[in-house]
Amino acid sequence: MIEARRISKFFSVINEDRSAEGFTVLNSVSLSIESGSFVSLLGPTGCGKSTFLEILAGLQAPSDGEVWIDGNLVLEPLPSTRKEMEEYKRKYRFLSPIANSLFRDNPKHDIAMIFQDYAVFPWMTVRQNVHFTLKLRGVAKADRPDLAARYLRMVGLVGSENKYPSQLSGGMRQRLALARALSVEPKIILMDEPFAAVDALTRERLQEDLLHLWRETKKTIVLVTHDVDEAVYLSDEVVVFSPLPGSIRNKVSVDIPRPRRRSSVEIREIKERLLAMYRFDTVHEADYII
Amino acid sequence: MPADTLTQNDRLQQHQARWWQVVVRELSVFGRNSFGSIVSVEFLTVVVPVLILWEALPRLGVVPQTLVPTPSTVALTFWDMLHNIRLSEHLIGSALRFAIGFIVAVATAFPIGVLMGWNLFIRKHCLPVFQILAPIPPPAWVPITIIIFGVGMPMQVFLIFLGVFYPVLFNTYQGIKETDPRYLASARVFGASEFTLITRIYIWHALGSVIMGVKIGIALGLVMLVIAEMYGGRTGIGYLLLEAKEYFQIDRMVVCMLMLGFIGWFLIEVMKYIELKLAVWRIGR
Ligand SMILES: Nc1ncnc2c1ncn2[C@@H]1O[C@H](COP(=O)(O)OP(=O)(O)OP(=O)(O)O)[C@@H](O)[C@H]1O
Ligand SMILES: [Mg+2]
Repeated sequence: MIEARRISKFFSVINEDRSAEGFTVLNSVSLSIESGSFVSLLGPTGCGKSTFLEILAGLQAPSDGEVWIDGNLVLEPLPSTRKEMEEYKRKYRFLSPIANSLFRDNPKHDIAMIFQDYAVFPWMTVRQNVHFTLKLRGVAKADRPDLAARYLRMVGLVGSENKYPSQLSGGMRQRLALARALSVEPKIILMDEPFAAVDALTRERLQEDLLHLWRETKKTIVLVTHDVDEAVYLSDEVVVFSPLPGSIRNKVSVDIPRPRRRSSVEIREIKERLLAMYRFDTVHEADYII
Repeated sequence: MPADTLTQNDRLQQHQARWWQVVVRELSVFGRNSFGSIVSVEFLTVVVPVLILWEALPRLGVVPQTLVPTPSTVALTFWDMLHNIRLSEHLIGSALRFAIGFIVAVATAFPIGVLMGWNLFIRKHCLPVFQILAPIPPPAWVPITIIIFGVGMPMQVFLIFLGVFYPVLFNTYQGIKETDPRYLASARVFGASEFTLITRIYIWHALGSVIMGVKIGIALGLVMLVIAEMYGGRTGIGYLLLEAKEYFQIDRMVVCMLMLGFIGWFLIEVMKYIELKLAVWRIGR
């Protein structure tokens, strides 16, 4: 179970006249995601979805609020008063709060994440990339080739194992990121637009594979996407973000029994509802800025 | 059956190249990459006319022959130095000094640079010290070094060390510090410890800038080698240069200078080769 409690995130931005100003990206977002559910986050570009996902994964500290995963606090929020700030600084003066332990490879939570810009390591080949993450997870050396081969086959990267990411196409890099995240077989997968760069047919196949995997292993999947069809077709619940500052605009649960048909009437209805919400947001954008 | 054994033999040969085969192959790669640029047609079209001019101008009396030794004289002098003043001993002396200073400098500057780039706590404690010391031009250290170490090997090695240390340190530090946080984040999600981050992410990301630092270090190290040998000791290329000045042997000076140029070029080529071997992923980009 992932529980985000009143997450806010401010960035300070430098104005033209060199003065700093707070800039709210997430405004008190609360969301709880049951174990084993498939949740999509939908929202206009730049509304803080990626930031939210990174906060869930513990890669950024929220300015306010807490994330709990299975009863464990992910990161303590940034301090607000000066006194707390000093204490916080003293506590983390040697290692930053997002760092893992010094010498032992050990994830804090059973999470895998696919980044929007893939972040596969350019100095490792496709195979080495997957093996490296498996090694970090403490998978025994003998088991790594099998696992890697299985997931590379699943995303269709057989035959490119010895290529470096710079020799891959954008879509192939994205599929490598997908294989890398799935191969560690985590309980929770956070995905930031994982199918954005692949063609429509491959996307459908990967979606089916993902659904299959999800049904079999009962993972928790959080998917950020711009594709309304994808969100409705795949998930149990669609969470719609409002434009900046990001907050939850609406939650739409998708109670269509699986297996679903992509072109079924129910899916189209929900999609229309979601799109109507979007349109409303764009037309009434001024209301939110106030 | 025979076909079967044959393929198996083939496979064995492909997979287990003997160590000397590997050495020969790698040497030929290195040779092609380094000397290849010298014997290329493009380069020869420039260098041959230059050599001809250099030979012709002093002989025709356009420039005074006493000041400009011709290439042929230089070659003869080189041969003469090789046999009459045991040039090889001087060269070995210089090489030894340079090697010790260089290795010690890289072996200290690299880890310190990595630690400073990796950790803010360490950076805040160490960086200011180096930032104040680094702008002191290495030759300015000569007097104090001579007083502390006396004239001889330790002083020379220390001066070379000073030349190599800072470029390697600052380039390593810069490269490590600028490691793309995306890569760090993606390794951290999967549970990478800080040590793994250093060995598998930071160092690889900084590789290009580290090698750049080492190249600058080589150039500065050679400068310090010559200076150190001019100030102390009775061997080495720098000493030969100074000696040639005493006796007004311009041809010997030119030989020494050309040798220094060649050594510098060779070491840079070695670094390029190392970069080629380590940064395989950059090829074909
Ligand atoms: N480090 C930062 N400093 C300042 N502002 C930032 C920083 N990171 C993100 N932002 C701002 O936060 C907002 C949300 O960014 P984020 O990447 O989360 O958007 P997103 O919803 O993922 O957008 P997209 O759908 O286009 O990927 C953006 O307006 C961005 O400018
Ligand atoms: Mg995003």
